[in-house]
Amino acid sequence: MADSFKILEGLLRFAGRRHGVITSNIANIDTPGYRTKNLEFKTILDNSIIELKVTQPGHINPDGEALEFKEIEEDTGQWKDRNNVELDREMAKLTENALFFEASLTMLSTKIRMFKNALRRQ
Amino acid sequence: MKTFGILHVVASSLEAQRHRMNTIVSNMANMNTTRTEAGGPYRRKDVLFEVKEIEAGNEILEGVQVREVVEDNSPFKIVYDPGHPDADERGFVQLPNVNPLEEMVNMMLAFRAYEASITAFNTTKTMFMKLLELGKT
Repeated sequence: MADSFKILEGLLRFAGRRHGVITSNIANIDTPGYRTKNLEFKTILDNSIIELKVTQPGHINPDGEALEFKEIEEDTGQWKDRNNVELDREMAKLTENALFFEASLTMLSTKIRMFKNALRRQ
Repeated sequence: MKTFGILHVVASSLEAQRHRMNTIVSNMANMNTTRTEAGGPYRRKDVLFEVKEIEAGNEILEGVQVREVVEDNSPFKIVYDPGHPDADERGFVQLPNVNPLEEMVNMMLAFRAYEASITAFNTTKTMFMKLLELGKT
């Protein structure tokens, strides 16, 4: 039960942070030397999805973060001023990410509604 | 209000693009100015942007700010006009190095960037509003 909340929270955090990264890209569309940044999932490992057992100290801790993500620099073609932000792509990413955020939010509120329904007395 | 720092990122972009737009408008207005305080004809100006770090929540985002306004050092336009008060002894006048076409293109670029930032602002606002509705129904 709590695990799915953790995953959904992770999704929301991911979408929120990615939104910040994309907005930074859009803000720096004319900054010389600026490199486009993006956020990507590193691992989606959680013991609610896959049963993990820690038998060695080097194993991934199943109680760790539900979702991990890291910031990467996108390596695409660049303009003359060493800036490689492409507005069209960033706007598409912005919309996509906003939809992703909304989807995660809908899932979370549905989850909450389910619990509320279960708690309600008939 | 560090939580809403992302809106400051958008605001920094709007501010920078507006500054750029003002510079372009000055260039257009002074297309034929032959006398300036510094002496000589008007020199075309341009803005240089740089990254400005803005705190948002527990992360650092990259906004933008104007680093400096630089002057374009390209040569002035030289026109033969002996009747002009600022003509030299041979009748040539130095006019500002402003190219209206270039300024119009820059203006379009600044406007597009401004529009993109407005869209980003609205998207951010919608996301926050939706988040605030969480768990209400």
